[in-house]
Amino acid sequence: MAPFSDREVLELVRMVELETLDIRTTTLGINLMDCADPDLESTCEKVYTKVVHHARNLVATANEVADEYGVPIVNKRIAVTPISWIAAPSGAKNLVPIAKAMDAAAKEVGVDFIAGFTSYVHKGFTRADEALFDSIPEALDVTDHVCSSISLASTKAGINMDAVNRFTQVVMDTANRTADRGGLGACKLVCFCNVVEDNPFVAGAHIGVGEPETVLSVGVSGPGVVRGALARLSPDDDLRAVAEVIKATSFKITRMGELVGRETARRLGTPFGIVDVSLAPTPAMGDSVADILELIGVDSTGAPGTTAALALLTDAVKKGGLMASSSVGGLSGAFIPVSEDQGMIEAVRRGSLSLAKLEAMTTVCSVGLDMVAVPGDIPLHTLMGIIADEMAVGMVNTKTTAVRIIPVPGLKAGQTVEWGGLLGTGIVQDPGQYGCQGLWRRAGRIPAPLQGYRN
Amino acid sequence: MGGPVIQVDAETVVTPQAMEAASAMGVAIQTGGVGAPRPYTPPAPDRGPDAGRAMETLAHLPEPLSDFDGTGIIVTVIGKNRPGVLAEITAYLAANDCNIHKVSQEIVDNYFHLILTVEMPSGDQFAGLKDGLEAMGSQDDFVALAMHERVFRFMHRI
Repeated sequence: MAPFSDREVLELVRMVELETLDIRTTTLGINLMDCADPDLESTCEKVYTKVVHHARNLVATANEVADEYGVPIVNKRIAVTPISWIAAPSGAKNLVPIAKAMDAAAKEVGVDFIAGFTSYVHKGFTRADEALFDSIPEALDVTDHVCSSISLASTKAGINMDAVNRFTQVVMDTANRTADRGGLGACKLVCFCNVVEDNPFVAGAHIGVGEPETVLSVGVSGPGVVRGALARLSPDDDLRAVAEVIKATSFKITRMGELVGRETARRLGTPFGIVDVSLAPTPAMGDSVADILELIGVDSTGAPGTTAALALLTDAVKKGGLMASSSVGGLSGAFIPVSEDQGMIEAVRRGSLSLAKLEAMTTVCSVGLDMVAVPGDIPLHTLMGIIADEMAVGMVNTKTTAVRIIPVPGLKAGQTVEWGGLLGTGIVQDPGQYGCQGLWRRAGRIPAPLQGYRN
Repeated sequence: MGGPVIQVDAETVVTPQAMEAASAMGVAIQTGGVGAPRPYTPPAPDRGPDAGRAMETLAHLPEPLSDFDGTGIIVTVIGKNRPGVLAEITAYLAANDCNIHKVSQEIVDNYFHLILTVEMPSGDQFAGLKDGLEAMGSQDDFVALAMHERVFRFMHRI
């Protein structure tokens, strides 16, 4: 093998030192099925004990690998089995104690989030699902690290509109309960169509039924790296050149991510799961997906052309990742969390990025409406309509879509809320004056589309 | 110490919580009169039936060929040029049994950047060496960065 050229060495050093290349998250999935118990208190104790037992060395091991390989691992997280399944035997109506046990375990082992306060209701509710729904607002209010996600729809099952209605109420209640923190609780709550069972990114992380006892997955990020690479292209290079550059960059960061992920898994003695190759922006300067879209050639994110540019970006990221690794999974692609992306915040401020355009962008991004702030007094049916539309986009296009929307109590369109840290700055967006009361009243289920019948 | 003593046999495991509770009450716990009991160490977690298989095969990607028998390290140093900089860094590497495979240095406007490809006999000393190197320079002299060669290999070779 030829020794590395200076160019190759400096490329990686530049990515890490100047372009904030990092492993965004290393997430340990822990199956909690064996914690189910007829007694809720015992369930809580088992959940706490099992999480602490398995995750005790997670943070130290991740730090050790990060140090040695010189690539930062920013977040260490835990994903667990959907709690409604674990809680079912107890018959309990209030599942907040389990959320508290999860929170305590997260604090004990020093991770920043534990996700999996989750329920699958895309076709209907069990008693435990109802209990979980009723517990979410309090659970997300009284805990610091717990995240919750709900499966509301799928291409195979259609959209459970009864569940969408109930979820809408839960979002509203959660935001209102955390009104003193700008509705922060709703930042930890997300719903899905075509939910992904091995996603390492919060708020939607959890591990589904087909997953092993424990599994370590990583989420690799690098909007800054892609941006840096594109900035070195000439504005006259054609779009195939743009796609090539993104693919090559994605290939490299995926290779790096898989190495670091597998090494961490080996040291923990746990099977390696997947590499999620997602351009996940942060509020840090330059770590922005909007900046990439503008470098590709859009005047301001949200302007006409944005969906086309984003389609190119998401696809090229996936292709590069898939060539690099046989373990690509999760949500892989490009995230567009509005409040977490400095460029998108600017675009909203400038007036170029509307809620309607965001919805269009979610048809080609890798997730959905993410970290969108709306007025606290938004009518329930309007909020429900936004969520249902996003579920429909996912259902018909056989893709994963999600909604993480925050009705910010007391704020009107155009006002600003600071959630701090990675969650960033929300600018309240105008949902328009019309809603969908008729849809709200009808409820029921939207049947699965033709695309769902592939057997 | 002259307080009450609880004698336990050698097989008994005393948890940290028990030790804490005992010392809060001024009670000593001893094993058969021969000193402190066996400390409690949590058992390794059972990672499930897939764990063993993962360790054998899945954990190892087909790894791009390496030039090194030991552990390869890429050291990048950037700083103001002055007599003896290269000597200081290489002396430190030599003192740590490192073998230099490749040196590349360039000077632009009195700033140098230096890339060393280095092999160390075993990976165990890596963390120490890295800390040592990175502590050598200072902001207004030079900054050194040491990274595992494996990262470069996975990124640039298939």
